[in-house]
Amino acid sequence: MIDMSILFDHWDMFLQGFGNTLKASLLALIGSFLLGTLMAVFRIAPVRPLNWLGTAYVEFIRNIPLILVVFVFFVGLPAIGIRLESFVAGTLGLTVYTAAFIAETIRAGILAVSKGQTEAARSSGLTYVQTMRYVVLPQAIKIVIPPMGNQFINLVKNSSVLGVIAGLDLMYFGDLISADTFVTFDVYIFVAVFYLILTLPLSLLVGYLERRLARAR
Amino acid sequence: MISFHQVNKHYGSFHVLKNIDLHINQGEVVVVIGPSGSGKSTMVRCINRLETITSGELVVDNVKVNDKGTDINKLRRDIGMVFQHFNLYPHKNVLQNITLAPIKVLGIPEKEAIETAMYYLEKVGIPEKAEKYPLQLSGGQQQRVAIARGLAMRPKIMLFDEPTSALDPETIGEVLDVMKRLAQEGMTMVVVTHEMGFAREVADRIVFMDQGQILEESTPDQFFANPREERARLFLSRILNH
Repeated sequence: MIDMSILFDHWDMFLQGFGNTLKASLLALIGSFLLGTLMAVFRIAPVRPLNWLGTAYVEFIRNIPLILVVFVFFVGLPAIGIRLESFVAGTLGLTVYTAAFIAETIRAGILAVSKGQTEAARSSGLTYVQTMRYVVLPQAIKIVIPPMGNQFINLVKNSSVLGVIAGLDLMYFGDLISADTFVTFDVYIFVAVFYLILTLPLSLLVGYLERRLARAR
Repeated sequence: MISFHQVNKHYGSFHVLKNIDLHINQGEVVVVIGPSGSGKSTMVRCINRLETITSGELVVDNVKVNDKGTDINKLRRDIGMVFQHFNLYPHKNVLQNITLAPIKVLGIPEKEAIETAMYYLEKVGIPEKAEKYPLQLSGGQQQRVAIARGLAMRPKIMLFDEPTSALDPETIGEVLDVMKRLAQEGMTMVVVTHEMGFAREVADRIVFMDQGQILEESTPDQFFANPREERARLFLSRILNH
């Protein structure tokens, strides 16, 4: 039987960890969405140097482990004199890492919109930017929502990387409580439940959006 | 209105358009025919620069289409285009499809744009579909919406790239009827099509293409009764005799 007293005795720590995991996830979600969209546009825009920049970003970042990207912010920046709190360093690393995957997801969505749509829009005199905004992106979003949901769920789970650098998240406090009490299994069960509290609603939201957008066609 | 001067186009090593010379006057209806892969669509798509040319000169409405300084978006306002696969915007209803460019490109107030859209929907015979989404319409209806969308910009030229090729035979007539009326009203039209009946009845001039070249240019009467070129004769015998 799981020892519930672990949860009640360390409620404040669980709660603080949960709050920070939520905060890191939300910040990284917004940040990686913006940065990822920008990189996707860079890769697609009819401007060569931007293409290169976008491609370099995606290929470089998505092909190294998350923990190393986080270390860049946690130990790399202090080495050149920029000191960040571990929560900030972890969230930044998470943002930069996730953005590479978001960029690819969005790019795939844009490319999945038929070329005829762009041709129809451009031939009516709309500019490249107007065509993207009114014709291509609204259709790409529908295509992108399910894979994007996956990325965001991964993001919440990946935020556990903060635990490694003392980022005050759920994982960090889980380790702390477990070290204090010598209870391992029960503590991590509660940690898992807290993650599910974040990821399950996200999962359901994605399913809901998917159905709603399918109807709107 | 439209004039090709020794226009060439290459796709890599593939020579798609060879020394095209063609002059189309205002109000003229030119029908381009020829076998698949002969460059008909490519030639028409050069007119609004959906395709660029490799050499030669192309002037449309007194504007050099491929000049660096040409504001292509401005030129495109005056050239409507209708595609084989309609290319209506699936996330917008019929009215939104038609009013998008007039509102965003010409800056026409929404109310006025809707009135114009309804006028052209009446004209193509489906005003009752204004609130429908493209996927709720038949192919013929979708193509008529696409024509209304082109006309709503009040263009000087309308381009048709195989407008009936993706339609089931029953709905081809309704689209051709709309195009016929448009031709009678004096619209400058360039039409790529395999509809020989339409070509014969509506065209002022037939342009026959094969392997990237214009082989023959003549009036429909002349072309269908007595084509000069052997290749044109062969083409006609193949598509008319079945």
